[in-house]
Amino acid sequence: MTVINKIKGNLFLVLVVLAYIIMFIMKPPMGIESVKNSGYYIKEMLMIMPVIFVLTALLDMWVPKEKIMKLLGKDAKAKGVFLAFAVGSISAGPIYAAFPMCVMLHKKGASIRNIIIILSSWAVIKVPMLLNEAKFLGPKFMIIRWILTVIAIIIFSWIAAKMLKDEDLPEETATKTGLSLNRDACMGCTLCVKSYSEVFEIQGKKAMVKTHNKTTIDKERLQNTIKACPVNAIEYIEE
Amino acid sequence: MDIFTIAIWVGTLIFLGVSLAKDKAKTKQALKMAFGMGKGMATSIFSIIFAIGLILTLLPPSEIANFVGKQSVLLATVSAALLGTITLVPAFIAFPLIGTLVNAGVGIVPSVAFLTTLTMVGVVTFPLEKKEFGVKFTAIRNGLSFLSAIIIALVMGVII
Repeated sequence: MTVINKIKGNLFLVLVVLAYIIMFIMKPPMGIESVKNSGYYIKEMLMIMPVIFVLTALLDMWVPKEKIMKLLGKDAKAKGVFLAFAVGSISAGPIYAAFPMCVMLHKKGASIRNIIIILSSWAVIKVPMLLNEAKFLGPKFMIIRWILTVIAIIIFSWIAAKMLKDEDLPEETATKTGLSLNRDACMGCTLCVKSYSEVFEIQGKKAMVKTHNKTTIDKERLQNTIKACPVNAIEYIEE
Repeated sequence: MDIFTIAIWVGTLIFLGVSLAKDKAKTKQALKMAFGMGKGMATSIFSIIFAIGLILTLLPPSEIANFVGKQSVLLATVSAALLGTITLVPAFIAFPLIGTLVNAGVGIVPSVAFLTTLTMVGVVTFPLEKKEFGVKFTAIRNGLSFLSAIIIALVMGVII
């Protein structure tokens, strides 16, 4: 059972490995060529990835996002647009990590337009990535693409806000009190388990909330764990 | 190492130094977070890289360039944008990949369209987005992003 789950969880990896095995049996020189090709990208990645992750985490830690988010309401206008860009472009994690956060922002009064700006800039305008883009495609390419993308997002978020009403977003499902963890956003980094192993555990490469004694929860330790999660997947609503 | 990589390393190390001086615990937390992100993404990153290596062996960039060059720009751009929606590739792999393609002679317009939809539009993430925001929001956001990817690409073709 666990073997099947492991294969399911890494389906893409398994397919790639299979493809390589077939390649090496049928055409060994092409197999070697593929490994060489991959080597180039691995080298490029290893040079830049550690520093990008560190930079992203530092930005995430030092920029007061909570304060910024309070200013994203419907009356915020130009300032709101600017701040939405700021939140999106410095945040850590893949785009799907942004979904739950944006839903929460919308509930707290952020406009649809600003949510779309956050999601889009989260995807394409990563500050730590700009230099990386300049390296491979040239500074001119990077600057022009960056400016055009910002303009495009400003325009299409405005159009989308005209087409959408607040009611189009699903009504919030009755907010559960207590502790919850969004497994769709979890990247399986195990930080929560390291920080509070009595409450969190890893199952199938992702974290989940263990059955624990609610009365003995250490609130401060829990809050620190929530902050440590790189994708803000943990939520605690007091009962 | 090239100047851009050095710049980002130096900048980050300075940031890290300032951060350490200001708040040791917070910095430690950030480093743990960075390590966690890397660990969480490692498997999928290596799978994507080895898949790209395989695809580029079967379809050498020069042949891709040759094939794309024979199509009309609009057709090539729309197809490139469509191809980009299927997959979800982290930006630090996407940039060297696009670099390889552009250097091999693939036009700038289709390459930009591919790059933009690669990161902004996701068929893979559609179900997740739908669950959180509803069908209408998700369809409109992804649809408009797709259109702007093509427009950005065409405008870049004119400017560069």
